[in-house]
Amino acid sequence: MRLFTRMTWMPALSAYLLTALALVYASFALPRLLPGDAFIAMYGGGHVAMEAQEEAKIRASARYNAASESFTQYLGRLGRLDWGTSTAYETPVFGLIMHALPWTLLLMGTAHLLSLGLGFILGVEAAWRYDSVPDRLLTSVMTFLEGIPELGSGVLLLLVFALWLGWFPAAGGETVYSGLSPWERTLDILHHLVLPLATLVLAYLPGNALLSRAAMLMTLRQPFMLTAAAKGLPPWRRRYAHAARCALLPVVTRLGLRLAGMLTGVLVVESIHSYPGLGTLLFQAVSLRDLPLISGIALFSSLGVLTVALTLERTYQYLDPRLKQQRVTLHAC
Amino acid sequence: MSLELHDVTVRYRQTHDGGEHVLLALDHVNLALRPGSVTALVGESGCGKTTLAKVIMGLLPDNAMQSGTVLLDGEPLPLSDENAMNKLRWRRVAMVFQNGGAGLHPIHTVLDQLVEPMRTHLGLPPEAAELRARRLLEQAGLPWNIAIRHPHELSGGQAQRCFLAMALALDPDYLLLDEPTSALDPGTRAFLLGRLRELRNEGKGILLITHDLGSTASLADDTKVMYLGNIMEEVAGSLLTKEARHPYSRGLVRAFPGMFATRELGGLRGEPLLRITHAHAPSEASHHHADTGVEHAPADGCLFLPRCTQACPDCASGKIALTGTPGSGLRCVRGGIVPFLELKNIRKRYTSAFALHDIQLRVMAGETFCLVGETGSGKSTLAKIVAGELEADSGTALLDGSPLDYKRRRRQLAAKIGFVAQNPLLAVSPRLTVFDIAAEPLRIQFPDLPRFELERQVLAGFCEVRLPGTPDFLKLYAHELNAGALQRLCIARALMTRPALLVADEPTSSLDPSVQAKILRMLLELQTERGLTMLFVTHDFGVARKIADHIGVMHDGRLVETGTTRQILTHPTHGHTRFLLSCARGGNTQGE
Amino acid sequence: MPAESFSLRRDPWFLFAAIVGGTLLLAATAGPFLAPYDPYDISFTVLEAPSAKHWLGVNDGGMDIFSELLTALRNTIMFGLLAGMAGTGLAVFAGVFSALRQGVTGLMLMRLADMLLAIPSIMPLVLLAALFQPPPSLMALALALFLWAGPSRLINAQARMLVTAPHILAARQMGGSLWYLLRRHLVPEIYPIALIVLASRLRAAMFMEASLAFLGLMDPARKSLGSMIGYGLKYYFLDIWSNWLLPPIVCLSLLIMSATLLAMRMEKRMDPRLQNLS
Repeated sequence: MRLFTRMTWMPALSAYLLTALALVYASFALPRLLPGDAFIAMYGGGHVAMEAQEEAKIRASARYNAASESFTQYLGRLGRLDWGTSTAYETPVFGLIMHALPWTLLLMGTAHLLSLGLGFILGVEAAWRYDSVPDRLLTSVMTFLEGIPELGSGVLLLLVFALWLGWFPAAGGETVYSGLSPWERTLDILHHLVLPLATLVLAYLPGNALLSRAAMLMTLRQPFMLTAAAKGLPPWRRRYAHAARCALLPVVTRLGLRLAGMLTGVLVVESIHSYPGLGTLLFQAVSLRDLPLISGIALFSSLGVLTVALTLERTYQYLDPRLKQQRVTLHAC
Repeated sequence: MSLELHDVTVRYRQTHDGGEHVLLALDHVNLALRPGSVTALVGESGCGKTTLAKVIMGLLPDNAMQSGTVLLDGEPLPLSDENAMNKLRWRRVAMVFQNGGAGLHPIHTVLDQLVEPMRTHLGLPPEAAELRARRLLEQAGLPWNIAIRHPHELSGGQAQRCFLAMALALDPDYLLLDEPTSALDPGTRAFLLGRLRELRNEGKGILLITHDLGSTASLADDTKVMYLGNIMEEVAGSLLTKEARHPYSRGLVRAFPGMFATRELGGLRGEPLLRITHAHAPSEASHHHADTGVEHAPADGCLFLPRCTQACPDCASGKIALTGTPGSGLRCVRGGIVPFLELKNIRKRYTSAFALHDIQLRVMAGETFCLVGETGSGKSTLAKIVAGELEADSGTALLDGSPLDYKRRRRQLAAKIGFVAQNPLLAVSPRLTVFDIAAEPLRIQFPDLPRFELERQVLAGFCEVRLPGTPDFLKLYAHELNAGALQRLCIARALMTRPALLVADEPTSSLDPSVQAKILRMLLELQTERGLTMLFVTHDFGVARKIADHIGVMHDGRLVETGTTRQILTHPTHGHTRFLLSCARGGNTQGE
Repeated sequence: MPAESFSLRRDPWFLFAAIVGGTLLLAATAGPFLAPYDPYDISFTVLEAPSAKHWLGVNDGGMDIFSELLTALRNTIMFGLLAGMAGTGLAVFAGVFSALRQGVTGLMLMRLADMLLAIPSIMPLVLLAALFQPPPSLMALALALFLWAGPSRLINAQARMLVTAPHILAARQMGGSLWYLLRRHLVPEIYPIALIVLASRLRAAMFMEASLAFLGLMDPARKSLGSMIGYGLKYYFLDIWSNWLLPPIVCLSLLIMSATLLAMRMEKRMDPRLQNLS
């Protein structure tokens, strides 16, 4: 966050901590804001018929109903990793989250890495060949793809590659109960990963490519690029060590800015492909009206995004030495 | 062993909203850079100097078309082979850009940038490269802790030194520097020039592209003046600032605020033009560049013609070549700055003791020549002879090549020579209004000129001398004006026919210094704009210092010493000159 | 800005986006009149194939898909407009306000924006939807509370530049009130950016609406492009992809694409150095 404001009396870390605290408080306070009975609010409106027995069980396990817990007690509970119990699965929320988390991390991580790496290289190479046929082709294709939401492309990919061509599985993270060797298991996981990964990459790549290209074009015009040419350096070195290195900065900044917003897409993609990550878990929790699980996932993912954003900011300071002097650079060199 | 350019021509293809045109940046340029010498290239921005450097490095942009050859030690540059070019770049020829800080990569450390060419070209291992970098920084006068810094942490001077160090990383044979001293603090500038001197003595061939005429004076072995892609003048060493032969060079020298300049800053009239050829735009017809309103340079004849104040009809056509011996060439139809007024063996005798003995005088076109001397030295007499008020007993006088024959051609000469006398009140008629006084020369020369035209010219003239043009003012009589206004009126009258020569006899001696300053500045401006040549008589060395290009000292009817202002002031040879100077300095409260 | 809009008119992407977006908007506005049936009418044969009577067939609940589509289009666009305009309005206000009042209030506002930016908006919205089941309009406004954060910094930066611009200071020196300055100088200079922000917020809002509807977080009875895709996906094994799945996907994609392109091309024309907002 120090990228944007010049308030030196509030270092970045404490700003993040404040936000984290606010989030925790929100997840603590919101359920308590419900007028009247939370139970009625959750289940009253839907077409759910419930037996008295079930109702009693739910009421009993619903801690949110008890108004006695204070915020500090809540914090303490969270710290002890007791995030409540899922009403639908009757297992601790934290455990469920931990079970689904690796899948989401795998999906999001590879998606970001691929789209950043591939998108960046495409953008750099296109800019180097400015106004040539490949460049114009790339720009048009990327502009077009940029407008297609994950919801649409995910369903289309599922239909085409899983249902019609049958090349990839339509659901799941891996084939369950198959007793595969570790190597085969890895391949199986990758096989299941392809479609959701492709959807996300298709969604993230165009923006990265277009921005990299724009940043690269700006960088190429700078005087130090002429110096690099005068030094007799080979083209690839000029392109990457000199120009692309500068063009990288706004791309990484943008990643940090958009990180929070990208979570929606991940949720949607996981749901479409029934990928066993936090998204699908949330989806199911919503349909099952499992409030503890919903708020647990909401809080966890929010805190997770915050942490990643903080780490990203630290990386940014490493990438751009000029930031040491508190000079903001949202642009390339 | 040399770096030579033969007939190098560079054109840029440019497109803009109106269409496409071709900009000529370099026109058959010949240049030789020899090891152990510094060649300076001076000229205004946009004259092609940077393009020349880029040609040598092979770094022209894609829209450039190049012809001619560049020979590096006898071998032509392998322009089509990028790999071969890359091997030459920085190793044989290195370049230092203007504003070193911008030319350095903002994210790499200084050390990285110093070491990079060594690793890439020579394949040096990191320790060896670092050692060498250390030495380079030392030679650049920088502390070792600079190495881990980034360019934005350096001052301008430090950044420029780093760049120089980086340029010397591979010990190139030739070094090209593009405006290396602009925007530098004096300390760094001095260091840089000293370093360049060292490098020259080590045997490097240095091309110094610069505006900074001071550095060329101290450093250059030969200087070339460039204008619009053509070399206009070549001079050896530091002679440019002392004796510029081409009107363009003179303008550049006059405009430069050097430490030893005495005259007020002058300049060149007009702006640099663009050499556009093959334009396919509707605006071409109006000869104005569509986007910037800059005019096109003439396609035929002398390039400098639109800005030259001594042009003649021959200058307008044909291709002008660089003539003269190599190393001192000149590209001018008229052979450089022409002498405008030449006096030979002028003698005058009065019945009393006053006399002029054998005066030899030469005033170059567009120049100010000051005649300095005591009362009775004969300076006024000489001025009056030139102006036609008195007649010489013998001797010849030439005005722009033709004889100054007042007997037969008084009327024509009067149009070309303006005279301002010492005492303005006596020089004007008490019966005439201000308007009539000013209009008199026009009435004499052009008796048929209609009234409105007279008015127009008078008002324009008044504008030039900063006199009001109100009807009330025009109706005043001479005695109603103050001394400053009166003298300005006389000057306006003298300039009314737009003469080429102004002879002024102590025109500002009786005026307040502040008024004198204004008038002198105005005269100098007219000199820049119209190429007015001036013969200025004064007893005040201070005034002469400020406006003269050449000074002539008169004593007892003889011209005892002539020379450039700087020469006379710093190294006077004649005793009388020394005497006058000591009086001037001794009596000066500022104590020079 | 006449020069920019002139070249925008010739920009093929911009034209495409404007035409497509305009058409969809028209279809949405005219929806109630264009729809052949009441979208909530469940009296038709379930999962009937497309025919002359039902251009896109019938869904699993017995409702005409074409009418559904038009209503869904309308709902998504309305949601997008509401959230987008509210978000843009807040962004402009916050950005300009914090530039004009550069004291603690201004800084606090920008800090708040920073914090909001770091929160994934879907999560609070999910919580909101699950707990309170608010009507779509309230959801849209809740979304706007997150949408304003990003662009407000950009607007803040622009406004800050303007506030210290000599011509504004001159107007102030001549006695112009704050209101006058806003009206005569600031608003005309800010509104091009505001337009770009609007387009990008529209995109984000429509995307969020479709995603929320797809995930089942909006009212299940409400028609949305997202929910249509969600329901249709359940019957993927049947041959309904062309009439049930594809139309909402295409409509949604075209909507989002138009908004994206509008934002991108306007941004490009205005200032190549402007940060990529979308």
